[in-house]
Amino acid sequence: MITLHHCVQSRSMRVLWLLNELEVDFRVVPHAFDKSLRSPEYLSLSPAGRVPALEIEGERMFESAAIMEFLCEKFPDIGYGRLPGDMDRMAWLVWLHFAETISQHCAPLTQQHIVIRDDADRSPLVMRLEEARLLKCYDAIEARLSTPVENRDYLLTSGFSACDIAVGQAVYIARHFARTDGHPELEKWYERITDRDGFRASLPDPESALIYTQDFYPPWDS
Amino acid sequence: MSQIRLHHVPASRSFRVLWLLAEMGTDCAIETYDIAGGSLRSPEYLALNPSGRVPALEVDGRVLMESGAIVEYLCETRPEHGLGRLPGDPERADYLQWMHFAETQATLVQELNLQWIFMPAEMRSKAVLQVQARRLAATAKVLEAALSERDWLLPSGFSAADVMMGFNVFALPYYIKMEKFPAITAYRARIEERPAYQAARARDGQQKFYAQDYYDPEAL
Repeated sequence: MITLHHCVQSRSMRVLWLLNELEVDFRVVPHAFDKSLRSPEYLSLSPAGRVPALEIEGERMFESAAIMEFLCEKFPDIGYGRLPGDMDRMAWLVWLHFAETISQHCAPLTQQHIVIRDDADRSPLVMRLEEARLLKCYDAIEARLSTPVENRDYLLTSGFSACDIAVGQAVYIARHFARTDGHPELEKWYERITDRDGFRASLPDPESALIYTQDFYPPWDS
Repeated sequence: MSQIRLHHVPASRSFRVLWLLAEMGTDCAIETYDIAGGSLRSPEYLALNPSGRVPALEVDGRVLMESGAIVEYLCETRPEHGLGRLPGDPERADYLQWMHFAETQATLVQELNLQWIFMPAEMRSKAVLQVQARRLAATAKVLEAALSERDWLLPSGFSAADVMMGFNVFALPYYIKMEKFPAITAYRARIEERPAYQAARARDGQQKFYAQDYYDPEAL
């Protein structure tokens, strides 16, 4: 049995989406996005107190992208990975890692808008800088999807893969901080991949406590 | 095979690629950029890497971005150097985990760099800097625990995971006090003894980020 330790709207959503798509048996242990992640029990699973953590065949793993790589190698027949030797392997690795680059710019924005309690500690400069960096990330996705010959439906020429899941989930979070207007191919791609049952099943249940309670968090004026 | 070309900013994540190639004994040409000078935003560079970041690596007739992806790719396509742990290897899960955890930790360094180095002093928040330093220390504890038991991240010895993580280790002392982390300090010394690390450092160029040895949020 595979067990996923999950917080809604966090990076563990990527792994949940992938597990849904893989159609394997797994169970989800929900966690609140709070200090309980630093309990000794949880730290024995994920020593930095972060989600996701995955239990699989007696192994314990943390780091969402590492887990995604491992699962794609474990279930190669489903075809969401591109294993070494595959024509798209290089691109698969690039886009899987690029998802983390996007999430890295979402992290300080989440901190600035949501985690910080005292307005005096917020920085409009950080908000604007990180929003601009997210827009640069959108540019890179837009460029990838728009090719001179025929636009791509997915990040890889060979079709839907775990890259679309990883980058798609990163964009799901990024959209709270940077609007996708002006990136038409990205918007079409996002609509395409979020129209999948696997994505819908990774969304928060209606009764879950959300991290992002607003659809959009505009940068503050300085 | 045509020559490998690395697009590089000194002391940035592209150093990982420079170091890995040195460990492989593979030569590369280096194009150096300056973040502040805007050369990463030139049309020529954006044509190569539309996200305007380093590293980019021209290799095997293509252009790769993302240091972690480049490191994984080079280890898989050049397995004779034994620096990766390929699919099916008993250490594969751990290898992937450290590889990606290095990026989690590097992000925390990057957020501190943004606040301390690129932001005007009067705009800094002491509370935010304290929290960030604590979060960075939490990742250092994970590393300290692993390195208390062995010399390198994986029991079988030095690997590309050390190249990914080892790069971070040199940024940690700017933001956290290292007295509590003797195993990391010893790890750093082991890295510095590696001839390939020394060769890469000699080619790296002068870092322009840090002007002091330690950035103390309590002093604000």
